[in-house]
Amino acid sequence: MARARATPPAQSRLQDIFSSRYAVFYVLVVPAFLLRMVYSIIPIIQTVLISFTNRTILGGQYVGLRNYEVLARDATLIGSLGWTLLYTGVSAVAETVIGLGIAVLLMQNLRLRWLSNFIMLLPWVVAPMLAAVAFQILFFEDGGILNAILQELGFGNAAVRWLSDAKTARFSVIVMTVWKNVSWVALIFMAAIGSLSKEVLEAAAVDGANTLQRFWYVTLPLLKPAIYLVLLLRAMAEVQTFEQIYGLTRGGPGSATKTLALYAFERFFQQFRYGYGSAVNMVLLVMTIAIGSVFAWLLYRSREI
Amino acid sequence: MIHQRRRLRNAMLYALLAVVLLGLVFPVLFMAFTSLKSVNEVNLIPPTIIPRYPTLENYPFMARAWDFWLTLRNTVLLAGGSGLGATVLGAMAAYAFSRGTFRGRTLMYGLLVASMAVPAMVTLGPIFIAYLQLNLLDTHIGLILVFTAGGMPLATLLQFAYFNAIPRELDDAAAIDGAGRFTTLFRIIMPIAMPGVFVSFLLLFIAGWNEFLFVFTLSTSPDTQVLTTKLYTIPPREADYQSSNLDLVATAGMFVLLPLVPLLMLTQRQLVEGITFGAVQG
Repeated sequence: MARARATPPAQSRLQDIFSSRYAVFYVLVVPAFLLRMVYSIIPIIQTVLISFTNRTILGGQYVGLRNYEVLARDATLIGSLGWTLLYTGVSAVAETVIGLGIAVLLMQNLRLRWLSNFIMLLPWVVAPMLAAVAFQILFFEDGGILNAILQELGFGNAAVRWLSDAKTARFSVIVMTVWKNVSWVALIFMAAIGSLSKEVLEAAAVDGANTLQRFWYVTLPLLKPAIYLVLLLRAMAEVQTFEQIYGLTRGGPGSATKTLALYAFERFFQQFRYGYGSAVNMVLLVMTIAIGSVFAWLLYRSREI
Repeated sequence: MIHQRRRLRNAMLYALLAVVLLGLVFPVLFMAFTSLKSVNEVNLIPPTIIPRYPTLENYPFMARAWDFWLTLRNTVLLAGGSGLGATVLGAMAAYAFSRGTFRGRTLMYGLLVASMAVPAMVTLGPIFIAYLQLNLLDTHIGLILVFTAGGMPLATLLQFAYFNAIPRELDDAAAIDGAGRFTTLFRIIMPIAMPGVFVSFLLLFIAGWNEFLFVFTLSTSPDTQVLTTKLYTIPPREADYQSSNLDLVATAGMFVLLPLVPLLMLTQRQLVEGITFGAVQG
């Protein structure tokens, strides 16, 4: 017994792994783990490596930091980075605020619960590409429904150029994204509000706090972790948005709605500039991790207190 | 007085609810209405909201142009295959994480969670290059593998939570009866955790159904196209110049949405449970 203990650690580790008690857990976990790594972490390492080359579909070679030097002066990239941040910030905040409002509204024990549940799930179940189709129909400019409704309501006769004007197109894209995700946010908040302790709210009511005060001073602080969680998940999803914007505007007009993901796609898959496309993807990766870290830290802190 | 104020408050709340629900449903509803319009009606100015002369003529026309049944079959195969694969493999991993203490457990769990933060676009390039070299472009198996890997973190984490709620005494009892870990997982744990297993499959099925980017880049032939990648192949109509084809665009959209509607109605509760799983976990 004492002798077996004295074997060098490397060997005992191997023994651990191959002893049947542990082996079964590795057999269980390795297929899932390996498959996921092959499709996530390994491609990231490859993206890092390719970003140091000028590789195209015909091959290429190591060029060091050349791609990144070009990136720093690439006006399209800088514009795309700014728009991505604006889009992410505005969409995530709007979704959170409106979603919280909807959640509070639906928690008022109103009737028609089955109908509201179904309708709430509808934008969530709609594919991003399908959201683009639905909004393409709404935003149709010459004789489209939205322009017709606006005219009917007396907002002038000039047709709004929802998708063909740079500023409006950005607004339209954000409207579509908020529509698509706001009910998901509301569902999360409804679950979070439902799990809050009723006693605290009742105590506040006994102390004479009105509905608004109860919400502002009691519910909202208690919801802080949920709010940060929603902001974390939404911002990380929004910063890498590709599909619904590709569907609605193709990043246009010009480059007005071209997010980082769309720009990387354009370089990599439409111009087959693998090296440069990978460098753009690195910017996207760093942005995603940065946004994730900030909100994860806020979330962590909000739970400490 | 109080009674009156309450009624006023309720009326306001219902009005607000109506506005919210209308806003959420309108884009989809108007798409459904548009798909029922004829060429003439879709080109009316000002446009009608509810079709005055509803017709189903767009549906057979689009179904023929799309090779609808083949596309539907591909979509079901991809969403179902990857949903099933990720749920089963995820259940195995979740069971190991839940019951086992083994070297690398924390690291592997951490990497699985962390991999959720990886943007799809960043992984797509190298996957495309690898598939090009391995002749996996345009294959069902290639696409199913991508989607299975994509759904793995969700399948694992979701089922991990459900398995954790099952007392370990059951495992011990099964072990005494001579059941191995695999038998225990597939015969005892998964049946008990079936609601969680089903929610995992459901969420992954819908995610697979709705995905666009990977199929768009990793497949080009009609044999592997799915509903979402067909959305922008709107066929020209005879004598169709100058007029808008929004009715056909809308019909294409309905092809993607309609098969999901019965699923949505039947599994509302499970879906909400799955969606909010993360938030309640806290």
